[in-house]
Amino acid sequence: MTNHWIDIRNADVILVMGSNPASNHPISMKWIMKAQERGGKLIVVDPRFTQTAAKANLYAPMRSGTDIAFLGGMIKYILENNLYFKEYVVKYTNAPFLINADFKGPGDLGGLFSGYDDKARKYDKKTWSFQMDENGVPKKDPTLQDPHCVHQLLKKHYSRYTIDKVSNITGTPKEKLLEVYKLYASTGKPNRVGTELYAMGWTQHTIGTQNIRAMSIIQLLLGNVGMAGGGINALRGESNVQGSTDHGLLFNTLTGYLPTPTGTIADLKSYIETYTPKTKDPKSVNWWSNRGKYITSYLKAIYGHAAQKENDFGYSWLPKLDEGMNASWLMLFDQMLKEKFEGFFAWGQNPACSGANSNKTRSALAKLKWMVNVNLFDNETGSFWRGPGMNPRDIQTEVFLLPAASSVEKEGSISNSGRWAQWRYKAIAPIGQSKPDSAIMNELYFRVKKLYQKEGGKFPAPILNLTWDYGEKGPDGKVKEVNIHSVAKEINGYYLEDVYDKTATPPKLLGKKGDLCATFVQLQSDGTTSCGNWIYSQSYTQKEGKIINMMARRGKNDPTGLGMYPEWSWAWPVNRRIIYNRASVDPQGKPWDSKRAVIKWDPVKEDPVSKKPGTWVGDVPDGPAPPMATEKGKYPFIMLASGVGAIFGPGLVDGPFPEHYEALECPLEENLMSKQRINPTIKLFGEKEDAYFSCNVQYPFVATTYRVSEHWQTGVMTRHEPWQLELQPQMFVEMSEELAKEKGIKNGEKVIVKSGRGQVWAIAVVTNRFKPFKIAGSTVHQVGIPWHFGWQYPEDGSGGDSANLLTPTIGDANTMIPESKAFMVNVVKA
Amino acid sequence: MVRKASVEEIINHWILAGSCILLIITGYGFLFKIEQIYALFGSNITMKIVHNWAGVVFTVSLFATLFNYLHEALAYDANDWAWIKMGGGYLSKKHTVAPPMGKFNTGQKFYYLVILLAGIAISASGFSIWLVQDNRSLTLASHLTHNLAFVLFVMAVPVHAYLGTLANPGTLRIMIYGTVPLEFAKKKYPKWMKEIGKM
Amino acid sequence: MWLRHRGEIMSAITENRKALLISPELCIGCRGCQTACKNWNQLPGQKTKNYGTMQNPPDLTPSAFNIIRYNEVPSDTNAVRWLFVSRRCMHCGDAGCMKICPAPGAIYRTKDGAVAYDKDKCIGCKLCVAGCPFDVPRYDAQGKISKCHLCFDRIADGLSPACAKTCPTGAIRFGDRDALIDTAKKAGYAKVYGEADLTGLGTLYAFKDAPKIYGMNENPAIPESIIFWNTVLKPLAVIGLGGVVAGALLHYVTIGPHKDADEEVKKHE
Repeated sequence: MTNHWIDIRNADVILVMGSNPASNHPISMKWIMKAQERGGKLIVVDPRFTQTAAKANLYAPMRSGTDIAFLGGMIKYILENNLYFKEYVVKYTNAPFLINADFKGPGDLGGLFSGYDDKARKYDKKTWSFQMDENGVPKKDPTLQDPHCVHQLLKKHYSRYTIDKVSNITGTPKEKLLEVYKLYASTGKPNRVGTELYAMGWTQHTIGTQNIRAMSIIQLLLGNVGMAGGGINALRGESNVQGSTDHGLLFNTLTGYLPTPTGTIADLKSYIETYTPKTKDPKSVNWWSNRGKYITSYLKAIYGHAAQKENDFGYSWLPKLDEGMNASWLMLFDQMLKEKFEGFFAWGQNPACSGANSNKTRSALAKLKWMVNVNLFDNETGSFWRGPGMNPRDIQTEVFLLPAASSVEKEGSISNSGRWAQWRYKAIAPIGQSKPDSAIMNELYFRVKKLYQKEGGKFPAPILNLTWDYGEKGPDGKVKEVNIHSVAKEINGYYLEDVYDKTATPPKLLGKKGDLCATFVQLQSDGTTSCGNWIYSQSYTQKEGKIINMMARRGKNDPTGLGMYPEWSWAWPVNRRIIYNRASVDPQGKPWDSKRAVIKWDPVKEDPVSKKPGTWVGDVPDGPAPPMATEKGKYPFIMLASGVGAIFGPGLVDGPFPEHYEALECPLEENLMSKQRINPTIKLFGEKEDAYFSCNVQYPFVATTYRVSEHWQTGVMTRHEPWQLELQPQMFVEMSEELAKEKGIKNGEKVIVKSGRGQVWAIAVVTNRFKPFKIAGSTVHQVGIPWHFGWQYPEDGSGGDSANLLTPTIGDANTMIPESKAFMVNVVKA
Repeated sequence: MVRKASVEEIINHWILAGSCILLIITGYGFLFKIEQIYALFGSNITMKIVHNWAGVVFTVSLFATLFNYLHEALAYDANDWAWIKMGGGYLSKKHTVAPPMGKFNTGQKFYYLVILLAGIAISASGFSIWLVQDNRSLTLASHLTHNLAFVLFVMAVPVHAYLGTLANPGTLRIMIYGTVPLEFAKKKYPKWMKEIGKM
Repeated sequence: MWLRHRGEIMSAITENRKALLISPELCIGCRGCQTACKNWNQLPGQKTKNYGTMQNPPDLTPSAFNIIRYNEVPSDTNAVRWLFVSRRCMHCGDAGCMKICPAPGAIYRTKDGAVAYDKDKCIGCKLCVAGCPFDVPRYDAQGKISKCHLCFDRIADGLSPACAKTCPTGAIRFGDRDALIDTAKKAGYAKVYGEADLTGLGTLYAFKDAPKIYGMNENPAIPESIIFWNTVLKPLAVIGLGGVVAGALLHYVTIGPHKDADEEVKKHE
């Protein structure tokens, strides 16, 4: 989230699209309803009338997978009716930037952008570039009239998203579209603010990243980014998934979103060179220009003393990707099926149910020599070999179950969607033989290290040189018990020497050797600091000699009254609660909305660092620089090289403007928007297990997957909980009364839902909360299924099996997240 | 002496009466939530246990009475109608002559049928209350039936006690010794005496 | 005895009477309340089936003291209107269950106005099931009454009932009954369901529309059979007995014992 949970109550309009907070983040509804109490309005756009829709002031139905069409129509509406926040757009976004004259869009190229290589299924982004002036700074037209400026290109691109076309694609009635557009666009005024809440409903599509981009454009047009009650807010689907992505669990990032290097980037210098964005504009902070400090400090953290300038700080020991290698989830199991893996750690996950195309995944598991299942319970993954359709005799996989402790049986931090890292405590000791993950990792590391020491191996250095002193060591050198506080401190970072600010005269001491880092601002690229994760620097720090676990703070002061609670736990970065908050003030530093001032420039108050008059009050500002209009002032979007918000976004692989493409499996033969039916850059899988069927009479209904309040992910924990199973005992499929009638299905009856990849039984829930869509004159039915069930438990099989038996092997063009939210199925009586 | 009631019949009668009294006392305790009666039996639960099992005894005992009285209670002739018309002689201070009666007079026969029917009702409804779960309307109907039958019993039992003692001197001994003097029997049960060849 | 019952009813209207205010318009159907109740009361989970609805168990059970009803009703603005209505004991002022219960101390009113129960005193006669206008009381495996008791143990410690504590949106609120009614009226609810019914319910509902849309009885009343029981059958049991005994005494005194014809003859001899 750019903002945070409590901040939602500050909004005038809340758009819930691609999520269902009432069902899946019930506590957040408290804040949504507080906004409604204050006169705020809740809009819900969803294929199904959800529990959130039941509380909405305005609900609009929409076919799964057509969000860009819907939002594109909104962009057109905003531009045509001049409802955008002009000053914000001109000064804080790249709307005035001029684009390469050779750039062409889908309107001209039949659904494609310029530079497409249809053999490689890739874009050459050369034409997606800014025109530069003689100083190397992008050319701008502040009047927004130049036909090559982003604003005009935006207008041109979305002029094709007429209300008729959008209604035909989405199935949303025209009046409803206009109602939603009018209400949401009303937040374009400086004193009105709107927020958007999304989750997997937006991300789990082949155009998922572009869904979010479309909303980002809208939020920038309306001046909602950086504002209290605004921003673009992802509702993370699991209590610590924010923490996991922050700490680099995905293959393409190290900690703190530093890119994972490829093998062709041979040394640290090249890494820094390749990945440090550059700008010639003196007013752009371009915070990623500090890349070198963070990667070096990271290397010092993980390799400690072994990492020195002479050996490039151990850069050669870092795991690297092959050029162009995609090691995402879908690829892993594809390769596993092709027998490219001997072993697999299923660590705190249940791939047999959670990944797209469960049949493929389960078959892939059967190809392994060994598997380690680290979990609270046995699950469909650990027991895959005795699952439906499996013959244990034919399977050679040796499976180990390492029982893990739950989050209440250990101490540590959990980072929520609002980037608040909150420290949690151990309530009870782990039961039986279960151990915290850190203890299991500790054991594994020690034994692997010993094997390398004893037997040598292909490349022992990265293992032998890892820092691993997170607790008292026994005589054998093994850490006896992992001290999670040590790990937290390592993440925060240390001054390895006395560190000085050499730009000051005389040089100012920033930190003493051995002390915890105060903030990532003080990290160095010369190896004198260590930091496990730069965005968490300051989370466990030292102030005037006293060590403070910032994440454990529970202060209830709220000086701004906006619900930021700056003394409650700690948010990254540097406890900034609303990021891009420099966009919440005008270039003079005065809040656009005085009633909800996130930060404010006080020209008289003394700055605590510079000791001179003039400082920001309120939230931690996005950089201490004075207001933009002053001489030393800076642009607000400090993480982007240009310093301004990206309306034109050349960073993604599938286009700088979001364009509507249909899902891989869709009910239409053609994309009504253009000749290009699907996202032209998605990676297609070609094995027989990956079969897909579009506009096929065998699978005539659109399907989507979702969650319910009562179960959690694949249900490994909640299916073992009798109270939860009592509430939601069985796999079900929701469908309209019209569809049920057509198929002769009665409410409560068992049916079979099948797709091109598999099938699952489900109890029919026949309801008016689903209504058939009118898509380009034809009736299109949609159904929905939860993905919480698995054959392994309840043991009598009464719960059902996973929705992912049906989902296709296809992922988003940028992130590879599977397209679980729009595919085609059939539903028949059992 | 004529044997009017067998030893088994006497024992069964007192088992029936005893359990009935116990059921009535505990019944009043329930109906009017009388804490003092509950206290007599220890606790709420124990009083219910006593009531339940007294009911079992009552039911078995009632069933046994079928063998003693049902056959007689179903046999009627013109004498019975005449008996009814004169109120059995209970409505007049004058000395009365009853039509010839069998082993049991009309009133007694009617009384038995009432007790039997009310007894079946109260017993069946009692078991239903005790044992049936998850049938709201049946449970309610059982309670109402049980209660109505109870009202019948608390009226019928004192009548029976009165008629079997004060109102008819010389009859109480039937339920103690089981015998009556020959002349007494010839007067009261001429039809029966003829049947058994004693008249 | 009837006077004592009236006393129990009257005492329900005290200044310190606590209550729950249920606001379906604020309920999101998350069912934290169902789980929190089971958690606090350590009730077992039961095996259920999906009957084509989210609602589970389908109705109250001995181990489900409250459930959320999911009602799909017609709407002017959308294809459907989806209401989430909490169903639980109403803690009536004139409590039918308490009125009809034969076992002393089995069902009683706490000082906060809740209708609580003591399983050790319950005799399992199931009259309370019949006496409740809302069909709330259930029976556990031992035959003892099982229903919401307003977490009287939590309240005694100054806490709120588990369901109210868990509810994220304030759809279940606990507090002084008068204050809750006031809050509801200030929030724009012209009528509060349960304000006066049955001498005031301890579980109030803030309904935007007619109660029947939410699946609630417009005019809840103690079932007629129970009224009949209380006002007719019970007195009859006394009058009947008393009348018959009195009648017998009267008969003995006036008409006297039965006299056969030849006794008179004997006298004259």
